[in-house]
Amino acid sequence: MSATILGLTGALLVGIGLFGLIVHPTALRKLLAFNLVGAGVFLIFGVVARRAAAAGLPGDPVPQAIVITGIVVAFAATALAATLLARLSEPGEQP
Amino acid sequence: MTRLLIAASFALPLALAAAALWPAMRGRLLALLPVAPLPALAAAILAPGGSLVLTPDPLRLTLALDTPGAMLLGASALLWCAAGAYAASYLATSPRRTAFAVWWLLTMAGSLGLCLVADMTSFYLFFTVASLAAYGLVAHEATPTAQRASLVYMALALLGEAFLLLAFVMMAIGVPGGGNPSIAQAVAGVATSPFRDTILALLVLGFGLKMGLVPLHVWMPLAHPVAPMPASAVLSGIVVKAGVIGLIRFLPFGAPLGGWGEALIILGLFTAFYAVAIGLTQPHPKVVLAYSTVSQMGVVAAIAGAGLVSDSNATPVLVAFYALHHMLVKGALFLGVGVIAAAGGPSARPVFVVMAALALALAGLPFTSGALAKYAVKDLFGNGIAALAATLSATGSTLLMLHFLRRLSRLSASDIEVRPPAGLLLPFLATAAASFLVACLLLPSTGTPYAAVFAPEALWKASWPMLLGAALALALRRSALRMPSIPEGDLIVLAARLVPAIRRLADAADRMDETLRSWPVAGALLLLLLLGLGAAMQLSAGFHPVGG
Amino acid sequence: MTVSLLPVWAVLAPVIGLCALLLLEGRLRPEWVAAPFIAIGLYLSISIAYEVISHEASLVYALGGWLPPLGLTLRADGVGAVLLALTALVMVGVSICAWAPADGAGGRGRSGFWALLLALWSALNLAFIAQDLFNFFVALEMLSFSAVALVALDGSRDALTAALRYLLFALAGSVLYLLGVGMIYGRYAVLDLAGLREIAQADPVTLAALALMTVGLMAKAALFPLHLWLPPAHASAPAPASAVLSALVVKAPFLIILRLWVDLLPLSAATAPPQILAGLGSVAILLFSILALRQQRLKLMIAYSTLAQIGYLFLMFPLMPGPAPWLDIGWTGGILQLVSHGIAKAAMFLAAGLIYEALGHDRVSELAGLARRQPMTLVAFAIAGLSLMGLPPSGGFIAKLLLLTAAVEAGAWWIAIVVLAGGILAAFYVFRALGSALAEGTPAVAPVALYRQGAVLALALCALALGFVPLRPFALLAIGRPLEAMEALP
Repeated sequence: MSATILGLTGALLVGIGLFGLIVHPTALRKLLAFNLVGAGVFLIFGVVARRAAAAGLPGDPVPQAIVITGIVVAFAATALAATLLARLSEPGEQP
Repeated sequence: MTRLLIAASFALPLALAAAALWPAMRGRLLALLPVAPLPALAAAILAPGGSLVLTPDPLRLTLALDTPGAMLLGASALLWCAAGAYAASYLATSPRRTAFAVWWLLTMAGSLGLCLVADMTSFYLFFTVASLAAYGLVAHEATPTAQRASLVYMALALLGEAFLLLAFVMMAIGVPGGGNPSIAQAVAGVATSPFRDTILALLVLGFGLKMGLVPLHVWMPLAHPVAPMPASAVLSGIVVKAGVIGLIRFLPFGAPLGGWGEALIILGLFTAFYAVAIGLTQPHPKVVLAYSTVSQMGVVAAIAGAGLVSDSNATPVLVAFYALHHMLVKGALFLGVGVIAAAGGPSARPVFVVMAALALALAGLPFTSGALAKYAVKDLFGNGIAALAATLSATGSTLLMLHFLRRLSRLSASDIEVRPPAGLLLPFLATAAASFLVACLLLPSTGTPYAAVFAPEALWKASWPMLLGAALALALRRSALRMPSIPEGDLIVLAARLVPAIRRLADAADRMDETLRSWPVAGALLLLLLLGLGAAMQLSAGFHPVGG
Repeated sequence: MTVSLLPVWAVLAPVIGLCALLLLEGRLRPEWVAAPFIAIGLYLSISIAYEVISHEASLVYALGGWLPPLGLTLRADGVGAVLLALTALVMVGVSICAWAPADGAGGRGRSGFWALLLALWSALNLAFIAQDLFNFFVALEMLSFSAVALVALDGSRDALTAALRYLLFALAGSVLYLLGVGMIYGRYAVLDLAGLREIAQADPVTLAALALMTVGLMAKAALFPLHLWLPPAHASAPAPASAVLSALVVKAPFLIILRLWVDLLPLSAATAPPQILAGLGSVAILLFSILALRQQRLKLMIAYSTLAQIGYLFLMFPLMPGPAPWLDIGWTGGILQLVSHGIAKAAMFLAAGLIYEALGHDRVSELAGLARRQPMTLVAFAIAGLSLMGLPPSGGFIAKLLLLTAAVEAGAWWIAIVVLAGGILAAFYVFRALGSALAEGTPAVAPVALYRQGAVLALALCALALGFVPLRPFALLAIGRPLEAMEALP
């Protein structure tokens, strides 16, 4: 049951995120939207891990490893995008 | 030794072109132009029958020199040599002479190599080199007219190459083993290929474009006259022959081809008469000569078509012989226009006499190469209506050439003291002499005895169409019929109407890209693509169960 | 298959170089620090190619001795080895061309360039030899991050905007791909390609996951209509970086799509999905070639040409009808197109960079006089252009010929026509630039070192040399196919 809720939440987050990624004109909002999609995808991985556990395995390490790596990647991406944004909004850089 | 000569035929021009990368060589390049074709000339004389495999299986780049190939190789080398000497004098002070020399050498390498190659890929390679490098010769003067002409030339040359590539691919598919078959292997399969008609249509389109068969001739009256004089000579004399070599090599002579031979005859003869009609309206001698080339190439196409119909094994040699005659005569005529333009009053007169003989040689004047060529090919046409039309094409040529001579007579230099420089005069005279001597020397290889050509009956057969032409020309002049003014390249005017439409299309592409590159559109397309591709995958999997 | 550590080193060596660069920053010129690692990278790629060819088997290494499904494996098959060699060749050419020891300007920018180049190399090698879906993801992210940083390197406002746009769109592609990976794992609990191949079914979940991954990767490969990020990014990066981006970076996602479709779940070529990919590729070829013709700046023209050339790659999907697609002529043609475009485009971008240095601008209409001042660069540009047009003798010609043959054999006439039309349009944009450069003029030209021009010419000549490969399916490109799962360490 909770797996279903987790999955649906994940799907919802992905949907909201994709909507934001497409519709919002400002880069910062796009970045936030990307993080939402990321969170949704990680939740879905969580569901995948839980399903393996439900099948009698003592918990599946692979999705967890993927999620951890994914979070690191998403963090790095956010940091890189934020740096670019900051450079873009430096006063000297204004046209 | 013969192998070395064969390889050097195109390797020497290429090496000289590459030498332009060294600053020390650049200044001397123009003076070396007459030397570059010498190995090819030697190969044509010493090495017929020779062959050389450049790279063995599976690449199979192969060179081979058969009789028609040797004829065209030798004649082209002669003309390249003479025109090269002419160019060295004609362009000695041009600021862009190095660039000219490089394009010249590349075109030369391509056109000479084309006579030698025996496999499909190399043929395409040399064909491409010859036609694309010639772009540089057309564009040399850099005037707006030259720019337009070179653009049209380029567009149509590329189109022709696309046709040929597709035809070659379809021919190669039929050859067992695939890869890069020899031309002979590929041609042998054409008659039984499931793509037979498509292949032949594409070949005729591709080579016809190079030869200027109507309606694909539109580039020729634009491109040939704008080039510098020696370049016009090789463009009209040699580069055009790439299409002729193509027909010789790729038409499956001796195989039943239902209707294609007849179609080629009709197309060729229509071209021959059409170009005469348009050429008569043209004021500039160089443009008239370009239309004459279109007309003569129509005759060559008709000869090839007649060969297909009559199933004669001699067709390739005969086509090559006719092309050789036209190559040297047309080359000499273009060189001569430059000589006349540089000669004043009295010194122009003897040149004019030579020019008249050359011009009428195109119509088959007895005791010229034209009479030999026309006599050699006449049996191919049989005795029907095609034979009559082919004979009457000489009438058309006479009309056109008399028009050319009339226009030419107004061209000579205004200063009557001016004498043509030896650097122009000698190459011109050499080419003119070669046109007759070479045709005479080679006549036996076409299977025609000398005695037959100079028999009174043959002389009369050659003369009456010309007399008819002369009478028509006189009548035309008397009638004071005003010639309509038709722009050079005639039908190209219709194509020019498409230009605004093309521009609008390109603008639309610009706007479309602008839209696509906005975030919301690209994002929405991303999702749409996802849904579309996903749906297509689900559906197709439903019908075709697949999986590991 | 042969077990070997070489693939691991191919990924690690550039990373070690990257660390060395960061450690020695300010003490040694970055060129000198990077040089030995570039040499090592070249050596490793050549050795891998040599091993793969001489044993006619792929090189495999299971990291830490762990086998799939838990462990990760690296595996250089025939295609992988060819792409490693291509990467090394382009990297060496780019390095020589970017080498400017005499140039006083140094500091962070230069050291950053070399560090990012090495990072990119490592990511590319990983993408070409990774063996499971998640490793692909890691490689792609490494690739995107270093590529984005390279775009932003020059620090101008245009470059930063382009980099940001590139990053955000690439991230959108990444999450879609990752979602697909999650679905595959949920369905099969396996991510290893060879393992998946044995159990994958064409069921709705798998197909949906495949669609997600494919579209995500298409966004990263800038296939029409997902190309919004590429022209500004490739045009505003420094020229050597653009060369790597256009020649190699967009090829990695494409190769992964190819692996998914051929190795994971071969969909019949006759069905709609391969046709859809080829259809998008066709639109890309025609539309972007026209747009390339209309660009005013040389680098933008080349960037649009890259978009068009990417289209050619996607034509291969419906042209592999056989039960073993890697033995079809379309497979060889597509891979050869990838390789020859990689070399030719690298040479062309580097040439454009040298032209920019010499003239101080890269406006297509104002190149007059260049032929006289920098003949070597211009010859390199022309030869690279020859390959893009698909004219002989060049790798591009052979690739075009093979694709055409495959299209005619498959009866896909529209593909044949698109291939030919694309060649004509390419000729127009290449000749437009060449014609402008051949015109008479006396521009003020800054000197460019001869060895740098020579490097570009050498790269272009490599594209020319590819024109002398035989016209038939290569055995080399089929090595390691079909994939075999590793049951135990051999």
